[in-house]
Amino acid sequence: MTGRRRGRRRNVDAPPALVIAPALIGIVFLVLPTLGLLIRAPWSSLGAIYADTEVADALRISLVTSLQATVLSLLFGVPLALVLARQRLAGIGIVRALVLIPMVLPPVVGGVALFLALGREGFVGRYLDQWFGFTLPFTQHGIVLAQTLVAMPFMVITMEGAFRTADRGLEEAAATLGASRSRIFTRVTLPLVVPSLVAGTVLCWARALGEFGATVIFGGNVPGSTQTMPTAIFTAFQTDPQNAVALSLPLLIVAVVILGALRDKWLRPVASS
Amino acid sequence: MAAAGGLVMTLTVDASLTQGAFMLTVALRAGPGEVVAILGPNGAGKTTLLRAVAGLLAVDSGTISIDGDMLDDPARAVFVQPAQRRIGVVFQDHRLFPHLRSVDNVAFGLRAQGMSRTRARASAHQWLDRLGLGALAQQHPRRLSGGQAQRVALARALACCPRALLMDEPLAALDVQTRAEVQGELREHLGAFAGPTLLVTHDPIEALLLATRIIVLENGQIVQQGTPAEITSRPVTPYVARLVGMNLYAGTATRGFVALDGGGELVVSEAIDGPAFVALRPSALTVHVAEPHGSARNVWPGTITSLAPLADRIRLTVAGPQTVLVDVTASAVADLNLVPGRAVWLAAKATDVTAYAAGPEAHVQNA
Repeated sequence: MTGRRRGRRRNVDAPPALVIAPALIGIVFLVLPTLGLLIRAPWSSLGAIYADTEVADALRISLVTSLQATVLSLLFGVPLALVLARQRLAGIGIVRALVLIPMVLPPVVGGVALFLALGREGFVGRYLDQWFGFTLPFTQHGIVLAQTLVAMPFMVITMEGAFRTADRGLEEAAATLGASRSRIFTRVTLPLVVPSLVAGTVLCWARALGEFGATVIFGGNVPGSTQTMPTAIFTAFQTDPQNAVALSLPLLIVAVVILGALRDKWLRPVASS
Repeated sequence: MAAAGGLVMTLTVDASLTQGAFMLTVALRAGPGEVVAILGPNGAGKTTLLRAVAGLLAVDSGTISIDGDMLDDPARAVFVQPAQRRIGVVFQDHRLFPHLRSVDNVAFGLRAQGMSRTRARASAHQWLDRLGLGALAQQHPRRLSGGQAQRVALARALACCPRALLMDEPLAALDVQTRAEVQGELREHLGAFAGPTLLVTHDPIEALLLATRIIVLENGQIVQQGTPAEITSRPVTPYVARLVGMNLYAGTATRGFVALDGGGELVVSEAIDGPAFVALRPSALTVHVAEPHGSARNVWPGTITSLAPLADRIRLTVAGPQTVLVDVTASAVADLNLVPGRAVWLAAKATDVTAYAAGPEAHVQNA
């Protein structure tokens, strides 16, 4: 499509004047906090702050746990999404609603719920403890679980939509060519949904990286062990807000990098296959 | 049974299936090398039939088999999955895998059958070369034209050595110019295929050009089958008559006369009795401004209701006891001043009126 044609279409598609003012307010509101972060960042003392605090540990723990949570979400969320999208079964709608609850549940509540289920006294956790001597709360495994609980629904919902809209005709064609169901899934269906897979993975990872509520309840906040970037920022903010600003900058950089990486795959209006 | 590694197969369908209020009941056989066109209007059940043979739908009763190998037989709880049927399908929208190059699209079925990547690619290249697509092997489907994509889809289906080939409206997705170009090639490639081919189409030209036998399907029922020549000369439903450009009337024959159901009577040369069809070629009729007195045994008055230009003549629609299509030259229209509303006389020689008995399965539906 040429620029000239798009220019002409804009006359018809242009938003009405009515929405311009609220849209502008929306832009200001969304951009202002980021600007504030950049303006008030203690640029000159950044080095000292990073050297003083456990930021390196927190960043490392955040990256490791959020990536593990993303891998878990891929391993379990993608198959779950396929089942939700394709399994014709009474009650599948209820299953969908149940598994998506953590997405709308306040993460703090998710953390409490995790505690009740998998804590040392939890109705599942106590057997893990008794039989295997395995405890989850206040460990990095616990953090990974807390992040997975909150982030996986984003993977599920993204991939379920992708599996629903993937061209079933291509799967039929593959079947007539003698491909088994698993071969159709790996060689046809999955390649077709790669853009959604990328979007879902990044969305899921970003959510895991920023996870605070469930993490702080179930994982704790011990520097060097279970303190992630968000919990470190929270701790710093209570004692020295300048440090909190400095710690926030790496996460802002991550956010910008994600947006940049997704610019082609995700932010552009959906490309036809 | 020889030739091409046991590829010589006969496809037999004698089955019915219901989808909502629609019921499809079909009995047909397609022998080795035969190209059978399933011709019918939209909604006749053509694609449903094709999907049932491919295994994408299960039939409710009856059987589908290929050379005695049962594919679908609900009474014995037999249903062979599409992946195990070895029936090639060329879909109307081609359904090439967008993430694979042409060569890997063609190699897909061979890989699924367990062939190594190298051997599958080599075989795919051979098929692409055979269909004149060698230069496009490394292209992704989105870079192919409609005609090229269709040939890649055909190569992909044939590369798996299918026992039968199914094609859904092979030419419908192509533009007019490409169609002409592809038709000839397709005929050649179908001729080279040793197994039976079912070709679904709503386009009589496609059926006439590509098929060795035509089965006409309407409302889920086979209404007529025969060679292209039989179908065009003796249509038994208004749908087919319209497709092949014939006037068709149902009536009752009594020794050289056929009393038409809607009124009127025609003198025919065939001596038949009982329910009959009468077919009249539009070009066999003559138009007169006054009542003609000549050798033509059939003469009746009518009123021109419309004119439509065809490639090399003008087609008149003339109302009378029966509505009739008549083809005349453009100069005749000018000389006789044939305009809508004009009263005219029509004449047809008895030898130009084809009458034939309405068979048991030849029931005329209201169009």
